[in-house]
Amino acid sequence: MFNLSELEHDALVELFNQGVGQAAAAMSQIVHEEVTMSVPAILFQTRAECAKALGNKDGRRICAITQHYEGAFNTEAILMFPEEKSLEIVRLMIGQTVSMDELSDMEQEAMSEIGNIILNSCMSTLANIAGKELQGSLPIYHVGTSDEILSHSGSQWDGLVLTLKIDFNIEKHQINGYVAFLLDLTALQDLRQYIDNYLARIGR
Amino acid sequence: MTSAENSLDQQLQLFASVVRAVNAGLIVLDADQRIVLWNDWMERHAQQPASAMLGRSLTELFPELANGRLHQAVVGALKNNFSSLISQTLNKAPLPLYASAEDAAAGTRIQQAVQVMPLEFGNQPRHCLIQVTDVSMAVAREKQLREQALELQSQTLLDGLTGIANRRRFDAHMDDEFRRAKRNVSPLSLIMVDVDCFKSYNDNYGHQKGDECLIQIAGALTRVLGRPCDLLARYGGEEFMAILPDTNADGAMRIAEMMRREVEALELEHAFSSVAKRVTISLGVVTQIPQHNATVAHMIGAADRALYKAKHSGRNRAAAYGSGAS
Repeated sequence: MFNLSELEHDALVELFNQGVGQAAAAMSQIVHEEVTMSVPAILFQTRAECAKALGNKDGRRICAITQHYEGAFNTEAILMFPEEKSLEIVRLMIGQTVSMDELSDMEQEAMSEIGNIILNSCMSTLANIAGKELQGSLPIYHVGTSDEILSHSGSQWDGLVLTLKIDFNIEKHQINGYVAFLLDLTALQDLRQYIDNYLARIGR
Repeated sequence: MTSAENSLDQQLQLFASVVRAVNAGLIVLDADQRIVLWNDWMERHAQQPASAMLGRSLTELFPELANGRLHQAVVGALKNNFSSLISQTLNKAPLPLYASAEDAAAGTRIQQAVQVMPLEFGNQPRHCLIQVTDVSMAVAREKQLREQALELQSQTLLDGLTGIANRRRFDAHMDDEFRRAKRNVSPLSLIMVDVDCFKSYNDNYGHQKGDECLIQIAGALTRVLGRPCDLLARYGGEEFMAILPDTNADGAMRIAEMMRREVEALELEHAFSSVAKRVTISLGVVTQIPQHNATVAHMIGAADRALYKAKHSGRNRAAAYGSGAS
């Protein structure tokens, strides 16, 4: 199993925290309210482990926003919230309390934008340390079980999932979500190389 | 012209006509954020000809966009090669686009969904495409749906006869207020109201008069409750419940006594009551600062016992849980 050294791991957590920090600032500006986000932990898992951790067995429905990135390394980036939490986030962001059971089209679009901001911010810090570009697609909205969402890139895929737990705070509510990056072996090696170069550059 | 040049020329003409015809706003910015394409849709809806826009920078033309979400998305596309989605819901109409001259005069903008994408072509420095879609129809439709849902939701939470909250609404509201009182360590009061000798009223005056009587009582009880956080609900046949957040025992007894007097003052004749010549009510009052192990069921049970006490002390009165008869 692929693993990072403690130093590499800590550097990556720090970079992701910078990323979501920028995303939170952008979102605060949109809603004129304080939004904060942090990444308390990251984890490398197989796809099955990740799906299981997200409640695939219980058939729990997940709301996901996916974006494809390629360049410095190639990855499918996915922001995931349990479906009921996505309703909560969007309604807190919009400041609207009428609850329907599902997100409306316009609310799905808003959720996609939230994902777009978070994923682009995370990737921009990575592109930054890589010193190389990452080309990002537009976000796509999905609802399904974690297994359905994670198998998006095909069943033959044998890479790993880099999972970030995200704490999202708005209006005294804390909501937990996950960002997953599907990384194949090449992408994993590229990513480690970028982190090592970065650590060498900053003299750690 | 060679045939290859000829077909390329044809192709370009085709692309140009598509850009003119497409039912979406297209803006292309060069690496310095200067406008190099402004399609017909944009000309119509921004009421600005391309000739006035080409070569000028986006933020020079629209200073209000500077450093906002759309502008940041443009920078993200040009600098980082990222695509961005700018939703109508989170961003109220960033561009000054109008459906008609009247709307423009009134300042009513088109509801817009915007996508910003990096554009690579030839060996030019990276450009970016801003694509604008009119989502006014979808927004209006959802507004209507939301209003209907709200209406439906409030209907299922109201008592059909009296128009006040029903049992379901009471249960949900009670849970919320109980949790809130626990968290804030604040007193919560509950008043259970029962109409005295209502069975004999129904038996002698008929159910229709009985219904009218309940409507009148619901109105009287509502008049006593002044604060928006208070809730009066029909709990059962002739039983009502009032939830009074942030209200101590004295305050709750005062409200209960006002309710009793208000109903008495309706002067609804009741010749078959064992209490008085008119319709009266008995009330059970309980006040708690809910402790950790306290439950809603227990608090309702306490209100019920206080009501029992009021009835056994002669009806047409209020009694508090845990104190002597009042």
